[in-house]
Amino acid sequence: MPRRKDIKRILMIGSGPIVIGQACEFDYSGSQACKALKEEGYYTILVNSNPATIMTDPEMADVTYIEPLTIEMVIKIIAKERPDAVLPTLGGQTGLNLVFFLMKQGILKKYGVEPLGASVKAISCAEDRELFKRAMQEIGVGVPKSGIANSLEQGMKIGLDIGFPLILRPAYCLGGKGGATAYNKDELETALTKGLETSPVHQVLVEQSVLGWKEIEYEVMRDCADNVIMITSMENIDPMGVHTGDSIVVAPAQTLTAEEYTNFVNLSKRIIRRVGVSGGGANIQFAQNPNNGEIVIIEVNPRLSRSSALASKATGFPIARVATKLAVGYTLPEVMNQITGRTTSFFEPTVDYCVFKVCRFTFEKFPRTERVLNTSMKAVGEAMAIGRNFKESFQKGIRSMEISRYGFGADGKDKITDEMLENPNGGLLKLIKDKLRIPNDERIFYIRYALKAGLTIDEIYKLSYIDRWFIDNMKQLVELEDEIKKFRNDKQAEEIKIPSDLLERAKKDGFSDRQLAYILNAKEEAVRELRKKNNLKPVYKLVDTCGGEFSAKKPYFYSTYESGEEARPSKNKKVVILGGGPNRIGQGIEFDYCCCHASYALKEEGIESIMVNCNPETVSTDYDTSDRLYFEPLTQEDILNIIELEKPIGVIVQFGGQTPLNLAVPLREAGVNLLGTSAKSIDIAEDRKRFKKMLHKLDLLQPDNGTAFNFKEAKEVARKIGYPVLVRPSYVLGGRAMEIVYDESTLEKFITEAAEVSGDHPVLIDKFLEDAIEVDVDLIGDGETFVIGGIFEHIEEAGIHSGDSAMALPSYTLSKNILDKVRDASYKMAKELDVKGLMNVQYAVKDEKVYVLEVNPRASRTVPFVSKVIGVPLANLATKIMLGKKLKDLGFTKEIIPKHIAVKESVFPFGRFPGSDIILGPEMKSTGEVMGIDEDFGKAYIKSQIAAGQQLPKKGNVLISVRDRDKRAIVFVAKKLQDLGFRISATSGTAAALERNNIKVSVLSKIAEGRPNILDSMKDGKIQLVINTPSGRIPRQDEVKIRSQVILYNIPYTTTISGAEATVNGIEALLKKDLGVRSLQSYHKKMKNKK
Amino acid sequence: MKAILMLEDGRSFSGEALNHCQEAIGEVIFNTAVVGYQEMITDPASSNKILVLTYPLIGNYGVAPKFNESRRAWLAGLAIKESSRIYSNWQAKSSLDDFLKKQKLPTIYGLDTRTLAVHLRHKGQIRGIISTKCFDPTTLLAKIKNSTQLKDKSLLPRISVSKPKYLGTRNSKMKIAILDLGLTNSIVKQLERLGLGLTVLPYNTTAGEILRLRPKGLLISGGPEEDAGLKEVVENIKPLIGRLPILGVSTGAQVLAAALGAKIIKLKLGHHGVNYPINKPLSYKGDITVQNHSRAVDGDSIAKLKNVRITGFNLNDHSVEEFESKKLKFIGVQYIPVSPGFDEVNPAFHKFLTYLKRSR
Repeated sequence: MPRRKDIKRILMIGSGPIVIGQACEFDYSGSQACKALKEEGYYTILVNSNPATIMTDPEMADVTYIEPLTIEMVIKIIAKERPDAVLPTLGGQTGLNLVFFLMKQGILKKYGVEPLGASVKAISCAEDRELFKRAMQEIGVGVPKSGIANSLEQGMKIGLDIGFPLILRPAYCLGGKGGATAYNKDELETALTKGLETSPVHQVLVEQSVLGWKEIEYEVMRDCADNVIMITSMENIDPMGVHTGDSIVVAPAQTLTAEEYTNFVNLSKRIIRRVGVSGGGANIQFAQNPNNGEIVIIEVNPRLSRSSALASKATGFPIARVATKLAVGYTLPEVMNQITGRTTSFFEPTVDYCVFKVCRFTFEKFPRTERVLNTSMKAVGEAMAIGRNFKESFQKGIRSMEISRYGFGADGKDKITDEMLENPNGGLLKLIKDKLRIPNDERIFYIRYALKAGLTIDEIYKLSYIDRWFIDNMKQLVELEDEIKKFRNDKQAEEIKIPSDLLERAKKDGFSDRQLAYILNAKEEAVRELRKKNNLKPVYKLVDTCGGEFSAKKPYFYSTYESGEEARPSKNKKVVILGGGPNRIGQGIEFDYCCCHASYALKEEGIESIMVNCNPETVSTDYDTSDRLYFEPLTQEDILNIIELEKPIGVIVQFGGQTPLNLAVPLREAGVNLLGTSAKSIDIAEDRKRFKKMLHKLDLLQPDNGTAFNFKEAKEVARKIGYPVLVRPSYVLGGRAMEIVYDESTLEKFITEAAEVSGDHPVLIDKFLEDAIEVDVDLIGDGETFVIGGIFEHIEEAGIHSGDSAMALPSYTLSKNILDKVRDASYKMAKELDVKGLMNVQYAVKDEKVYVLEVNPRASRTVPFVSKVIGVPLANLATKIMLGKKLKDLGFTKEIIPKHIAVKESVFPFGRFPGSDIILGPEMKSTGEVMGIDEDFGKAYIKSQIAAGQQLPKKGNVLISVRDRDKRAIVFVAKKLQDLGFRISATSGTAAALERNNIKVSVLSKIAEGRPNILDSMKDGKIQLVINTPSGRIPRQDEVKIRSQVILYNIPYTTTISGAEATVNGIEALLKKDLGVRSLQSYHKKMKNKK
Repeated sequence: MKAILMLEDGRSFSGEALNHCQEAIGEVIFNTAVVGYQEMITDPASSNKILVLTYPLIGNYGVAPKFNESRRAWLAGLAIKESSRIYSNWQAKSSLDDFLKKQKLPTIYGLDTRTLAVHLRHKGQIRGIISTKCFDPTTLLAKIKNSTQLKDKSLLPRISVSKPKYLGTRNSKMKIAILDLGLTNSIVKQLERLGLGLTVLPYNTTAGEILRLRPKGLLISGGPEEDAGLKEVVENIKPLIGRLPILGVSTGAQVLAAALGAKIIKLKLGHHGVNYPINKPLSYKGDITVQNHSRAVDGDSIAKLKNVRITGFNLNDHSVEEFESKKLKFIGVQYIPVSPGFDEVNPAFHKFLTYLKRSR
């Protein structure tokens, strides 16, 4: 049926900040949806609080709101824009929940807004545990034994009736948040309490555990004519018990018979029909008993999901695009398959390769959390790899993870050596078995150790319940490794002796040159040379949705070692863009945003764009973002292979974050032309000595610093420059293993830990400037002209990682004098480094002095944020500069200082990592960001807080507990709060300080002082805001408990004085006037008019 | 052991042989299904073909007798990318390798099946040879050329039952006759679920013989498409049209159409897979079907016939996939009417059942 003509204006709701369980896959699906709606001529209204997304680019929708994703704000947008319809299925769980509440409250009806793709009925059926269970039983789909608990007592009874182990799932929670497994009564009680708190409707499903069963997923789509298609099956290699977002997954399913496959499709079709999705897609998760084939359903997501993004990338079928077209009334036979260009979307994609998805974790950031996986998702990102067999895609997947591994072990990075495994002692065997039994992020590597230690496939299966087929494939790799080892060199310089057919087999099974070099005791370059000599080069095959049956128009490739080359490079001028790989803390969607812009800019300049990336969640790996897409690991070997085939005029490494930047040196040494700022300048910025020299030359300040290779040296350096000092290993990503040290004993502890992290790299020691204001500058330059994009003032003081700080643009407290000093320093350095492209500088401002902390001649995390605020696409301009254009030609020659103000706030995953402390430090911990934009700082700040999930109160009780050195500063904050009508509670020490300043305080008893204590007050909802600053590196127990309660009960909090000041500022603004909404386009227009 | 797959256009692919000293010649087709290798191998419709599986990992879930479509493998040869070393599924009884060895099915593996499939897509229907003893292109090409002479020999006597066989519900009031051109078990199972009594007849049973059995209807099964024996079948069933409800399945549908006087055409590239969309004319509603055919009923010639309607066509190349005559009570389904899972029966059989019920 043709598209609907009765609707004209469609509202789309994005998914907000990147959090665990909801990452950039929703930017991918959202931007696809935007494009699809535009194609159809609809007027699209978009709201999303995340400025780092492509979907919030002003060109994507007709009107874009970067506003908090709350009911109140969305209602305001609806009232202003009056859409005819809303698309609820593309904004993840956040978008779906919002629309669902709007529906239930009758707001959609009031404004005459029709939900497309999923009705209230459909959403309730999938999301309400009880309705879902009943619906499934009605259509003969097995469900695990379960009961719905609305209270602790009820839950305990249900649980004891079903028997252990049990799974607990809070209702309406994304990414399994609050989910848990309980093996006994105590665990059940704890998990229930937490689950009931976590669920917004205080409801928990208590369910029979199907631990160890196979987890199978299906992606299905249905149109309004009741055509249903299956996009792909997926098999979780980690069996039931590990959240699917944390599981390593293979597509299609590998161990199902044809009959089982058909049965799953049958159930999926019954389910999507019963749930009632009638113009969109759904992800369905099943568990299957591996011993008798019994199937139960786990859950249905009646929307685009992480899995649907993966399925899209795995098959080439653009689920989000098609779902959008179906939502506006088309049927599947009417929507063309863009990949083939001649068949329709009414078919079931088939593949002739094996797809492997692997998750990226960051447990190292949360050392207090146990390194185990369960039903609550913990992965921060994922990588996908494609190969012609499982072994190849498996090894490619591992080297895509950005954990410095180059395949399935055998790369010199194994924790347990072969020698240890030859005769494993009891302790080692126990460790291996435990690591197999209890799911964890290193399990696959322990399977390798287990195989080497002589455990059989059956033994490994019985410990891990990972299907024997996968274990055998891993065993084949271990066996092949042993075979290769026979040709090991005694000396590295010797000629490599491996026979060519064995080398070919190794490459076909995904061994990297780096692994082969390690096994053979040779240099990676030597292996590469040998391969070339034997003419053993990869070929690139197409992802074509159809197993080769039709020719494909979209050049989406993966590498393999076979005969037929399908990539056939053009003779056009072309540039390769290196993407950022899997999301992790420190490297997220911001860099993907920049890579996409590079691609758009190339297109505008008529140059062929070639994207290389391995992150299936991203817009950059959408098949129509670039002219050509290579879905490949970002390692030197894989990239050089592509470059040798494509012969681009240059490669862009500035935009993908640390991953491509780390490759800059080896690529340059291999003769690759890197575009933009010269490698020499990059080197100056990264080399401490050369950098120091440059600052000296430019007459710029830097905190005192030094370098040390051991504790003794470190001690001397620290003494010389004076405590506190900031210490960190020389090799840094996202502030990993960085710390502020106040004394020698802490320093010693850190050096031992850091040395472990960084091998023989030195430790860097800087004087830490206490209570300094940190400032970030983004700048663009073409070698002649340099323009500041934005000067951001951090809200938290220096010492907190810039990725974790809230920041305001333009600056809200700095004097003109300081700002001019900052500008001057930035331009001086940009000129000196001859910046061609982007540059980011971090400064600390203390006592009217400006200190340079760090310079990065590349795209920074703040590029999308500043671009949205000033209305200038910096990454796009930077790309054009790299191609030789000048800023003058591009019309950007003067810093824009907006009249409005925008605040960027970070979002943290503390809720996922029980036991971790929520204080901020030099180590980055946030997963995502939001933006609040308004006419003054207070409003912008409060919007950023609301968008980040902090429900700042307008009245009530504020708990204040601060360390001694903050007691003076807090008085002002408390006084203001009192003036605004808040009551103040405090711990005894803080209370005394406040009372001395005539503030009325009620003293709350500490935990040890008996009950009711602080924790009880928080639990009972008597505290609406917590201000708590940490007392030191080893915090007092009380503090940690207070801070973990804050997360558990979702109480707004701040852990810094500056944060507290901003918060009070925001509350004041909130009390004065209700928050309004305004579109990004309108801010930009106002700015242009001013000019 | 080294093996080669050579195509009649001279293109060759090298791999390894699973079975010893074999040579196999046949038309080379590729199937894009991810699962179902055992069913494909034992489907008589693919007799004497060299089947290329485009999904690269084959044998993962082993084999079990219950998944056989017929009593043996009928392919001339099999070409796969990687044969799984172990199998893993609770229903499996043996490995695919063992099964193939027992069936003495010439199998080549380790070749670039993707490039092969793409080549076949460009070339259309083409013959080839798998060999482990001869690697000389000229000799191999000559062998392919000579083998075409065998074309006149029918396979049906070997495939079809030699005497009537009774299946299904013994005392069913609803008895049907089945002309066995290569009947598959998955069809039989669905008919049994409908409670039908089945008389499976040799392919060359005459109209008179069929009518004497007084069946409620006739099903003409699928089987090899370009078989010399089909001519006889076409002639045999002509008198039955209009006298009995008839369901022609796959090749059976082509036989039915030929008996009606319609033309059968060769497709450039056959349909071999499980993801083919069919649509009803003038409708947005369709189905995803399993197909395995290289020929099809010519759309124009069947559209011209009186009382016959095309009820389903392939959405990609618009070939005829389903036709029907309410008046003459027959249905032809070119796709394979497989079970949609569990104990469910394909809608084509339900439709046939309503015709059966209406007939005296």
